[in-house]
Amino acid sequence: MESTLQAEKPASSIRWREYRPTKKTPWNLRRVVHLHRRSGFAATWNELQRDLQDGPQASINRVMNGTTCEKTYPEDFERMSASIAEEAVRSNQPDRLKAWWLFQMLFTTDPLTEKLTLLWHNHFATSNHKLEDLSLMRQQNDLFRSLARAPFGTLLTAALHDPALLLWLDAPSNHKGHPNENLARELLELFTLGFGNYTETDVKEAARTLTGWTVIDDQFSFRASQHDAGQKTILNQRRAWKGDELVELLLNQRGTAQHLAERLCQLFLGEEIAQPEDIDTLADGLQTHNLDIDWGTETILQSELFFSDQNIRQRVTSPTEFIIGATRALELVDPPPQTMILADWMRKLGQDLFYPPNVGGWNGGRDWLRTSAIISRANFAAGLSRGQFNANHTHLDWSSFAAKHGRSSIPEDFVAFLADLLFGGEPNPGWIEGIVKTVSSDSHSREAVLKQAVATVLASPEAQLN
Amino acid sequence: MLTRRQFLDTSFQSTSILSLASSVPCFLTRSLQAAENKKNNGRILVVIELNGGNDGLNTVVPFTDENYRKYRKALRISESKVLKLNPEIGLHPALKDAAKLVEDGRLAVIQGVGYPNPNRSHFESRGIWQSAQPNPKAHGGYGWLGRALDQKSNRAQTFADAICLGDIDPPQALRGRQSTQSTIRNLAELQLDSQSVNADVGSDKNTTDDLRQFVRRRTVDARATVERIAKLNNASQTKTRYPQSGLANRLKDIARLIRAELEPRVYYTVQSGYDTHINQKLNHYRRLSEFSGALNAFLNDLRDSQLDERVLVLVFSEFGRRVAENDSQGTDHGTAGPVFLAGPAVKAGLHGTPPDLADLQDGDLKMTTDFRSVYATILSKWLDINPQSCLQGNFAAMDLLQS
Repeated sequence: MESTLQAEKPASSIRWREYRPTKKTPWNLRRVVHLHRRSGFAATWNELQRDLQDGPQASINRVMNGTTCEKTYPEDFERMSASIAEEAVRSNQPDRLKAWWLFQMLFTTDPLTEKLTLLWHNHFATSNHKLEDLSLMRQQNDLFRSLARAPFGTLLTAALHDPALLLWLDAPSNHKGHPNENLARELLELFTLGFGNYTETDVKEAARTLTGWTVIDDQFSFRASQHDAGQKTILNQRRAWKGDELVELLLNQRGTAQHLAERLCQLFLGEEIAQPEDIDTLADGLQTHNLDIDWGTETILQSELFFSDQNIRQRVTSPTEFIIGATRALELVDPPPQTMILADWMRKLGQDLFYPPNVGGWNGGRDWLRTSAIISRANFAAGLSRGQFNANHTHLDWSSFAAKHGRSSIPEDFVAFLADLLFGGEPNPGWIEGIVKTVSSDSHSREAVLKQAVATVLASPEAQLN
Repeated sequence: MLTRRQFLDTSFQSTSILSLASSVPCFLTRSLQAAENKKNNGRILVVIELNGGNDGLNTVVPFTDENYRKYRKALRISESKVLKLNPEIGLHPALKDAAKLVEDGRLAVIQGVGYPNPNRSHFESRGIWQSAQPNPKAHGGYGWLGRALDQKSNRAQTFADAICLGDIDPPQALRGRQSTQSTIRNLAELQLDSQSVNADVGSDKNTTDDLRQFVRRRTVDARATVERIAKLNNASQTKTRYPQSGLANRLKDIARLIRAELEPRVYYTVQSGYDTHINQKLNHYRRLSEFSGALNAFLNDLRDSQLDERVLVLVFSEFGRRVAENDSQGTDHGTAGPVFLAGPAVKAGLHGTPPDLADLQDGDLKMTTDFRSVYATILSKWLDINPQSCLQGNFAAMDLLQS
């Protein structure tokens, strides 16, 4: 597949060229950690060692085909997950549905798909605050997961037929003669073209076009009697537009490809790593590949740009990356953590799952680091170091954790191990020494010092970068 | 996603702050700032953003206007219910407390406030109001208050120049080149785990990487803030009764910080839920009543503490709503709307010209006051800051405040 991709890409796409290790950009622990943290939620020590051995191609392939995480959930994961979701819906407790999604992120063998599922939750940001319907929220979440890597048109069409999204954006109130613009505006501004690529008239005419799209008995339904079948002018084209034709029209616009390219780069790359010409080239490629999300994802993840030095650790860690990442990397999964508690930490860190702040979703980036969120990150780190979120945390033993991976529990060695595990090495000279000095200052027991080290490392500025 | 460029300049001063942060005790910088505050008469601005697009026409209601009756059928507020400010204009019935504040001389209502070429996207329009720029991303993406505070920011202090209360992203309005802001969900929750220690990993002065500097600085600032908040004594707790609502709780927290003589001169909070595309009647009533009850309690609380003379409250929304209601007992995105200024310093009552319902543009109101004139008034007459550089243009101040 790679060779055909190369052939189809225009010459200017040099930065999207496939990464091959060189002397200056070797396949090392730093890059393995980077691949896992960006494409998923961080890897365990064994996974890192495995990929370090096997090289980039095998590692990226595993990420792409959903086999990168070792199976950590002892029982039948799919069945367990489904039953947790059903129970959450039945109980009508939003926290339990949030917990289900975190369970999914924590134990999936395919973290890339979970990360994209979260991207689509943010892109088609629907809040249960208005919906108050966990069954529909779950249905939407499953939809995002199953089409997370599909051609964007398939995902968009399904999202626009999704009862949760339609109810959220007032589609049932959009009637012939009295359009409600909510859905039409966000379709143009947020879901496809992006701001600046349409006019107010386009919004009004698109709203007319979508009249009759509604929800009956929790199902999409088209009510012809409510549909405005008249002539409409959208993007300078005049005809009796129908909803499906509008979606097709939008999918064929350059703005949509551009917007999708930006979204994917925002998810996988650091701040301002992709230059306008990179986005352009990626958008070109997406257009020739039917806006295939999977193609776009693979192009980014295997690229020279993705593995370039400038892209490594050049992003603010998101709440899921922070919480799930730390829990996975430190192997605090047996016994499984109480994901209801993790869900509450997600809220404190500023990303309350199923409750995006508005239709625009979460801003992310540097906005994650609000004062309260930084304090909550430090508090989470302290709790995690004590094993506080696991049912039976008395067995937590950091010396054994180090020993299991052939590392000693001398503070210097232990902190160096954490730096390897979490950052792929010491983030800057003197850093390990600084941490060790801080945590050894009181005369605690060895285990207390190690606990303190875990808490301090995770609360450090460096751990807020991915 | 906020990008590097937007924060570039903000971060370059961080080296000095970082090197000071661990060594300068907070009370030292605090007394410096207290002296600074005295110089400015200790004046404080509190911003309340009504998020989602408040229906201005049903907030400040032209109840005798025949066009109002024509455009608003399901949502019309009848003359018998409206809280009259004059024979033609009145407040929504949920704004009882606000109407009392007008009578009391503590609330000014500026009508028809907007900007040229109205933008009906929540995000774009919010950006325009917060940056006071037609293109919110231009000029570093700074906010109008961030730029204002840049002129007064004390580089030696370790505490934020502005505080935002609530579970929201830091508002663009407060983003400055040098000035800093802190966003706090609520005061009660802002506590550090007793086992969490701050690692001294070196100030890394040599790094030119602004993202690293940004993260380090935020971490230091957050810990300094927690320390300060932890030292707030019980005396700063209020005895005034507040209604039960999120906004009331946030304003109560803000009053507490003002009472504790914290450094910030600007506080910011958001009340959301104004995007009333459907079933507006009840939702809008609830929001407005929550808003006016909270505002009233806040002003009374400050009066009880004899601090209200020092506080001005600004209330705005990113846009008003379409003049004609839609078919779902709601309204779609529109243009101009009313702005409130509250506190004993205001000239109470109606200001500006009511928008003309017989002269619409694409079904929307034409604005009669540019929002930057309101900002210019606040900057020049309240905060004593030259408005020209904050607003990047000349906007005449209005006669909204007691001199």
